[in-house]
Amino acid sequence: MNGTNALLTRTKSFFAEIGDMTLFAGRFFREVFSPPFEFKELLRQCYNMGNRSLLLVGVTGFILGLVFTLQSRPTLMQFGAESWMPSMVSLSIVREIGPVIIALICAGRIGSGIGAELGSMRVTEQIDAMEVSGTNPFKYLVVTRIAATTLMLPLLIIMGDAIALLGSAIIENLKGDVSYLLYFNQVFDALKFGDIIPATIKSVFFGFAIGLVGCYKGYYCSKGTVGVGEASNSAVVYISMLLFVIDFIAVFVTDIFFEI
Amino acid sequence: MGKSTSKKIMVGVFVVVGTILLVAALYFIGNKQHLFSKNIELYATFGNVNGLTLGNNVRYSGINVGTVSKIEMIDEGTITIQMLVEDKTSRFIKKDAIASISSDGLVGSMVVNIIPGKDEVAKQVVSGDTIKSYSRIGADDMLSTLNTTNENAALLTSDLLKITNKIIEGKGTLGALVNDTLLAQDIRQFVVELKKTTAGTSTAISQINTIISKINYEESAAAVLLSDTVSANQIKKVFANLEKSSKDINEVTKNLDEYLKEIKSGKGTLNYVTQDEVLIKNIDSTMINIKEAAEKLNENMEALKHNFLFRGYFRKLERQERKEAEKN
Repeated sequence: MNGTNALLTRTKSFFAEIGDMTLFAGRFFREVFSPPFEFKELLRQCYNMGNRSLLLVGVTGFILGLVFTLQSRPTLMQFGAESWMPSMVSLSIVREIGPVIIALICAGRIGSGIGAELGSMRVTEQIDAMEVSGTNPFKYLVVTRIAATTLMLPLLIIMGDAIALLGSAIIENLKGDVSYLLYFNQVFDALKFGDIIPATIKSVFFGFAIGLVGCYKGYYCSKGTVGVGEASNSAVVYISMLLFVIDFIAVFVTDIFFEI
Repeated sequence: MGKSTSKKIMVGVFVVVGTILLVAALYFIGNKQHLFSKNIELYATFGNVNGLTLGNNVRYSGINVGTVSKIEMIDEGTITIQMLVEDKTSRFIKKDAIASISSDGLVGSMVVNIIPGKDEVAKQVVSGDTIKSYSRIGADDMLSTLNTTNENAALLTSDLLKITNKIIEGKGTLGALVNDTLLAQDIRQFVVELKKTTAGTSTAISQINTIISKINYEESAAAVLLSDTVSANQIKKVFANLEKSSKDINEVTKNLDEYLKEIKSGKGTLNYVTQDEVLIKNIDSTMINIKEAAEKLNENMEALKHNFLFRGYFRKLERQERKEAEKN
């Protein structure tokens, strides 16, 4: 009986959190289109989340393409299908692996960062101070961050994909004597609009989810300094889970509208 | 302020680079699908499109010139496909070109191949034209053919097995050839003899060559015979005449021979006359008898003259003779 109650409580709190988060998202959409616009803060956040994540995304993407090609080579060679490497790698990276891996990395770097930053601001009562001073903390802190991740993540994913394909091309050039021209020619032969457009739209949702969950967890942080850690941690966990849910929905929708 | 500007620039660069990458990717993909080039529409009708889908490539002489833009089933067993073909390459495609659907490699997607026609003076295609199509055999047909081939191969192998078994057992000519050691020795001996003969022939030929080389072509009769065409013609005639003469002589000799044989064998009148002694005696006695008979006939005639019955006739004859003598 006790266990059932506990489960019920947790289920209730889970749905309550989802409801809260939905309201939080609704508030974001209300605030984002109403002046005043915090362009300066948005720019700062874009720089922090975009430019400063590029190195991490670039290195990860490069290694991703490199390792993926190296690992796939022996299997494809068994079938005598090495010439299909560019098609296979490009389709896998652009459609799925690139967006998901880069979004997960950004969830770790950006999501946890936002959670920790807003959480510490909450526990140190900086957000309350902003409210008292007449500044809208939601607009200044939350809207700019969510907008920045929504804008920056697609760009990061596009760059990450490009770097991953470059890494793959280097390996193919070194191991398989495939020229860069031939490699990228085959890549664009294999890719269709149905691959790149849904992936880009999906990455916009990934960015929004990262910003939204990170901000929500940080904004409603409690329990002092312990709460900051928890907010940061749970932000990453929630974001990761949400990313896969969004990915599933995106693939499902893409399957309906684009013939994969 | 400076720091803020540099951040702006950095973010600007970041956004521009990301956007350029996206636009470039979209452009290259669109370019591959011939979306940004001026296209014409071509149609072809097939009975079976073998899994052709929208966006599959259209190739002309092996070059990608367009994509499949529409696949429509007109009626049972008639499927019309619409192809978007680059305008700049369409001028090489003539109205008698033939479209066929084939696979791009063993496991590749399907492609429409447009094969150039043979009529060099045919006009180039224009947008909306329907070109001829040719349905290649599909994988199923190929497999069924392969199945028949396999069955035939199995039959052939079993026959071959029988033949090889017979050869191993030494049956038949081939078996004897393979297994009979005596035959092998004979063949070896034959080859040795053949070698010797060849060597002998070679020596003979070299000797003939030496003889021929020694002939003085300039002055000898051989030279005249070999080089003078007039003499050659004359000689030809002489030989022809000689041949004719020899035939005639042969004929005469044959006749003579037969004649002599007849004579020898006792046949023929001459031989009878010359050889039969009894005949001669008979002839002799006959001649004597004739002589006596003639004498007696003369006597009879004289007697007739003096007979009264015939006397007038004989006197008449005498008178006529006298008259003719007087005339002369």
